[in-house]
Amino acid sequence: MAESYRGAGHLPKQREGGMPAEPEGVPRQRRGTTPQMRGRYPDYDVLEQSSHWDDATREVVLARLDPPPIRFFDDGEVPTLTAFCDTVTAQDSDPKIPVLSLVDKKLHEGKLDGFQYEDMPDDRDVWRIVARGLDEAAMELGHPSFGEAPLDDRHSICERFAAGELDGGAWNELNLTRAWSVVMRGVLQSFYQHPWAWNEIGFGGPAYPRGYAALGVDRAEHWEPGEEFDIDPVEDASARGLE
Amino acid sequence: MRVSPRIGTALKGAIRPHENDSAFLLDPHRRDVPGRDRMRRYDDWDEVDLVIVGCGAGGGTLAQRLARRGWRIVVLERGPFWDPDEDWVSDEAGSHELYWTDKRIIGGEDPVEMGKNNSGHGVGGSMVHYAGYVPRFHPSDFEVFTRDGVGADWPISYWDLKPHYERVERELPAAGEWWPWGDPHGYPHGAHPVGGGADVAMEGAMNCGITMKVGPVGIVNGVFGNRPHCIYRGFCLEACKVGAKASPLVTHVPDAIEHGAEIRADSMATRIELDESGRCRGVVYQRDGREGFQRAAAVAVAGYSIETPRLLLASTSKRFPNGLANDEDQVGRYVMVQGAPQVAGRYPGLARMYKAPPPEICSEDFYETDPERGFARGFSIQTVAPLPIEWAQHVLADGHWGRAMREYMRDYNHWSVLGVLCELLPHSNNRVALTGEEDEYGLPIPRFDYTQSPNDRANIAFAKDKLHEIWEAADAQDVLTIDRYAHLVGGCRMGASPQESAVDSDHRAWGIPNLFVADGSVMPTQGSANPALTIMALASRLAERLA
Repeated sequence: MAESYRGAGHLPKQREGGMPAEPEGVPRQRRGTTPQMRGRYPDYDVLEQSSHWDDATREVVLARLDPPPIRFFDDGEVPTLTAFCDTVTAQDSDPKIPVLSLVDKKLHEGKLDGFQYEDMPDDRDVWRIVARGLDEAAMELGHPSFGEAPLDDRHSICERFAAGELDGGAWNELNLTRAWSVVMRGVLQSFYQHPWAWNEIGFGGPAYPRGYAALGVDRAEHWEPGEEFDIDPVEDASARGLE
Repeated sequence: MRVSPRIGTALKGAIRPHENDSAFLLDPHRRDVPGRDRMRRYDDWDEVDLVIVGCGAGGGTLAQRLARRGWRIVVLERGPFWDPDEDWVSDEAGSHELYWTDKRIIGGEDPVEMGKNNSGHGVGGSMVHYAGYVPRFHPSDFEVFTRDGVGADWPISYWDLKPHYERVERELPAAGEWWPWGDPHGYPHGAHPVGGGADVAMEGAMNCGITMKVGPVGIVNGVFGNRPHCIYRGFCLEACKVGAKASPLVTHVPDAIEHGAEIRADSMATRIELDESGRCRGVVYQRDGREGFQRAAAVAVAGYSIETPRLLLASTSKRFPNGLANDEDQVGRYVMVQGAPQVAGRYPGLARMYKAPPPEICSEDFYETDPERGFARGFSIQTVAPLPIEWAQHVLADGHWGRAMREYMRDYNHWSVLGVLCELLPHSNNRVALTGEEDEYGLPIPRFDYTQSPNDRANIAFAKDKLHEIWEAADAQDVLTIDRYAHLVGGCRMGASPQESAVDSDHRAWGIPNLFVADGSVMPTQGSANPALTIMALASRLAERLA
């Protein structure tokens, strides 16, 4: 039985069928917040370091804890796209990072990424068309909307989206592979800009003006978290019948 | 003249650069550029000696050189004049303002995504957010056609640029180990310490018999005027709040201002005007919603490989109905990017790749053509160190989302990432053109088409395999791969005749005696080196030719 994350048996590509282990194998967060309150660094809260950050950075990062109300998406799109963002980031319980709120802020402010594929509409339109397409796909499975579909069906629709296998209706207006990349770029940028996600992965966060002195493998600053392990992510999960 | 290798290693520490006091003009306690309040201002109707469009690697360097020679210079920069203390943050998503994010249409069989990866905005240009690698080109890069029968030859040689490489390396200053590749040379500052990510990558490369060296990076490593030492915080790509990493904002702009240049920020050039004899008479620009016209005796365009061709193509007239320097349909062609796939390797220990600068170690063992490999030219290998948002893109590119993505993300601190820069060849149809759609300035939105050739694809595939070999040799427990591009050069290449190029060997637009191009778009080939140093060296040489 593995005694730490020094082994790689918990990684999806190293497991049979390429499927990830259940998140129940990950330690419970004891300090600060992570999405779904699990993470490798249970006693680490990057926000406790915020007094060491410069003013401009602190203002930008702390604002993410309290995102503005939805301004870009309409009332019909919000439940669909919230469900989409949570499905593709595996946020199945509280606390959740408000991914869609951060996407909405970016699109409302028109902070686009600086390019548009010749066969694609504007990124803002891509999001709206995807919302329509997700609802259509859920209706085909007999649900009133994507947001009201059960997790398994939402997951399989996203799987087909990622594989470029959806068609008909709204999907015919898009190059599917490129649409997946547009929305996922927004989703991942929103999720991993949030300090709760930094707690989960043990990222040091902003480091000015303090900087780093302890460089090298397994070397850490006094305030940097140690990785912890309390349940074997491979064997305990199967022993407890979680797979 | 070849400089003795010993000099490079003997000259460590605080060498004062030749005729450039920028590092000494900076304030030791604040990061904004001193002297802006007393910066010289020119009236629009006052005919200056030179107006430069763009204040990045090319425009910033050219302005400093010629201001030193007494030229009266205005630089029109579309983006803001940064105050790093106020405007920059130690944060990925918060750095959106650093990039040129205006709409650009991308097409071709292998479209190149623009924005944060390859376009700058504001005083300092894209060097504000480049990683910091400053390798020289190899002598072979200037004669690719002669040697390999592909690509193009430059109308100048490595030896024309060498004195300017050396001068710019002292100004940045460049830090690194003795460089054994190309024309071997040393660096004014010694190599920085490496972080955990580069440590494990170096071991894998050594096991494969690949030589890797630390550097070269444009990051202060010692006493250098009022520029602070690097603090290894890892946010090089989000702009250096410390002031340790080189960009024209700290390396050339302070000295340019001190010598009477005006850096006119927030000013978008929209058109180059000609007089009746076909010479430039100035540049039309927009600032704060108002149109201005800066008169000038000469114009240098340094807007990089998309905006430079765009401005020339959009400046049409009766004499030049297809745009400036474009009688032979050469403007906007031969735009190049480097194939830049990255492969991450997983280790038992915590490498914490977010610490230390992402640019650390390189190999140029595969830079030159090797007939055994079955394709022309080669690639370089470099460490990179994505922060969480970029790491998430890497994980996604390997096919993981949802719970699998979260698992690989939680594993972040165990990973180290190697990338390659593959020399992709110049092709005439990889080009910038204008669309029918206009932007807020009334300028046509540009379109960039890009398609790889079989040689390009073979190079990228070989280089990617090599990265996998390195990780295997380093006993990596798992690997994740992403395909991507890096950098941007060409589009107004220099050459021997107007039939095959947009400018001559002195960067002068064919057919317009007082119009120059002073950025990376003049490059006929790109090597496997990051282009920043060569763009600065070219601007430095251009200044010498003009003065």
